[in-house]
Amino acid sequence: MHDLLDDYAQSNALRDTNTRLKLALGLGAIIFCVSSVSPVAPIFVAVSMGLITIMIAKIPARFYSKLLLIPISFAFFSTVVVAFMHGTGNPLFSVDVFGFDLAIREDGANLALLLISRTIGGMCSLFFIALTTPMIEIFSVLKTLHIPDSVIELSMMIYRYIFVFLDQAAMIHSAQVMRLGDSGLKNSLNAFAMLSSVLFLRSWEQGERLIVAMDARCYSGKLDLTNQAAKAEPRAILAAAAYLAAIAAIAVLTRNIQML
Amino acid sequence: MTTILETQDLGYYYGDGTVALENVNVKLEEGRKVALVGPNGAGKSTLMLMFNGILQPKAGSVLFRGQPLNYDASSLRSIRRAVGMVFQNSDDQLFAPTVYQDVAFGPANLGYSAEKVKRYVTYALAYVGLSGYERRPPHHLSGGEKKRVAIAGILAMEPEVMILDEPTSNLDPATSEEIMEMLEELNLGGKTLIISTHDVDLAYRWADEVILMKDGGVLRRGSGPEVFGDSELIKEARLKLPIVVDLYQELAGRGLVDGPKPPRNILELCDTLEQGCKGRAPSSSTAEPIEPGKIYICNVDELEAPQIIAILEKIQPSCKGAMGTSAKVMAEGAGIALDFTYGVIDKCILKALIGKSSLIMTSGGMVDHAQNRIRDYCRESGAVIEAVRLSDGAN
Repeated sequence: MHDLLDDYAQSNALRDTNTRLKLALGLGAIIFCVSSVSPVAPIFVAVSMGLITIMIAKIPARFYSKLLLIPISFAFFSTVVVAFMHGTGNPLFSVDVFGFDLAIREDGANLALLLISRTIGGMCSLFFIALTTPMIEIFSVLKTLHIPDSVIELSMMIYRYIFVFLDQAAMIHSAQVMRLGDSGLKNSLNAFAMLSSVLFLRSWEQGERLIVAMDARCYSGKLDLTNQAAKAEPRAILAAAAYLAAIAAIAVLTRNIQML
Repeated sequence: MTTILETQDLGYYYGDGTVALENVNVKLEEGRKVALVGPNGAGKSTLMLMFNGILQPKAGSVLFRGQPLNYDASSLRSIRRAVGMVFQNSDDQLFAPTVYQDVAFGPANLGYSAEKVKRYVTYALAYVGLSGYERRPPHHLSGGEKKRVAIAGILAMEPEVMILDEPTSNLDPATSEEIMEMLEELNLGGKTLIISTHDVDLAYRWADEVILMKDGGVLRRGSGPEVFGDSELIKEARLKLPIVVDLYQELAGRGLVDGPKPPRNILELCDTLEQGCKGRAPSSSTAEPIEPGKIYICNVDELEAPQIIAILEKIQPSCKGAMGTSAKVMAEGAGIALDFTYGVIDKCILKALIGKSSLIMTSGGMVDHAQNRIRDYCRESGAVIEAVRLSDGAN
């Protein structure tokens, strides 16, 4: 068993909450985050979404923080560049590198702060969706939004077989490591090339077996997509609406606040 | 008995000329349990793929209920509905992202209404003991659960014949036995079953008819004892003797037992051995004869869990067994610890013979099956075992 996002999506405490509501909450928060002009609202979203995910959906904090570390590290390095490259105003910090004056100015610092808070707020909202909503539920919402059946069916098959190939890739990798396939750069590169080519061939074979399996059960172009999601409780709808309204209010009220 | 599937001079060759099957003539009767056994590459899987038209024969023909198969789209649909196939690797078969969708795949493609599809899926999942698993994705299931879902997916199409390619490969022994018991239950419900296997013990014990294959041809057909009684033939087919037969032959070699046919199972082996010993050493029979225990049979369709627990407290059986999925689900729900979950009737007879009483929980047609099995045993062996059928209000 791998420690996958998908495992938590299947087993979290908000698993059975209405999918549309969860999507609306997550997407709404993202939209407010990216449209807010001050970093206050995105920071509020990041903190509250984090708390919702950990306290209400009961995702282990350790796993969640590790997950968050990936986008944070990306965001950090890119905003550092933005902070140095951008803007006018009083220099807050400057350093002389071989005659170049490298400085972080007020404008740049504010922009960097806004960027990083938007990124983290957005990521927290996205993780909220990813960690509480199984893919399959999202597919059934897409179906009601009249996305073509063939697109959805294809995505569902792709989703299903990701896990089959993930297992196969893990097994091939173990088989390589067991025979020291990872000793040295040259060996690892070689092993990786073999893994990729074998996986490609296997997926091809798997595709052929899939056709046989579907034919054996009288395939005539139908994959049942019954929407089995629970109805949204009025209380949950109210809570989500109040939360989104709060973000909107914070975003509007703090539009003139600059952090620095 | 009517013939349900038949092959006539069936042949199949791969593109490079390798012969997979040649001159295969078999007749399978309705309502039987058939095992195809043979070494790797004997053509078992190829033959199975021909029974529901996935492979088209290069020579000869396959007949379903006396009619040769046609290979146009609508004929294939009807044959594939009538002859369902469970693949060896469940991941090949479970392609939908949730259990519900996978089981619903067949019925949906047969054009049933959404409501009818739901009814069939609910029934099939309950049958294999996986109610409540509807929304799980297949990659979150154990090997045994995947196999059950694969079987449910076929069951939901109501086939007359079910073909299972190596149904117990990669499963732990207890799970294998439970899957085989479920197949037994299906067979009692009237389905014709065909399995392929390398497990000679399983084929010997389970199958009404064994078809021994080698190099794309049929070496021998017959009942388990007929096929596995011939050790030379078994050696030629690169198999081994079932442990019961092997033991019996060695005992017979030492003159401890004799008889024309090897025993079918442990129960028969014990009886043969006991008779042999008694004839040889009369002194041992001077001991007080054991009073056989009773076997209580209760129908879980008729009794609620609290009633069964009350009965258990009253009769205090030394062992408890459950046969069939619904009985097992109920026992688990009621917190009843089971001693036997497979081979239940034989185990209970064995216990009864050493003076212990037991309770069998089961349902539907298997109640009669259990009673008949015990009665047949008593008639053949001369033992007197009382089978008590418990129903509401009795005792």
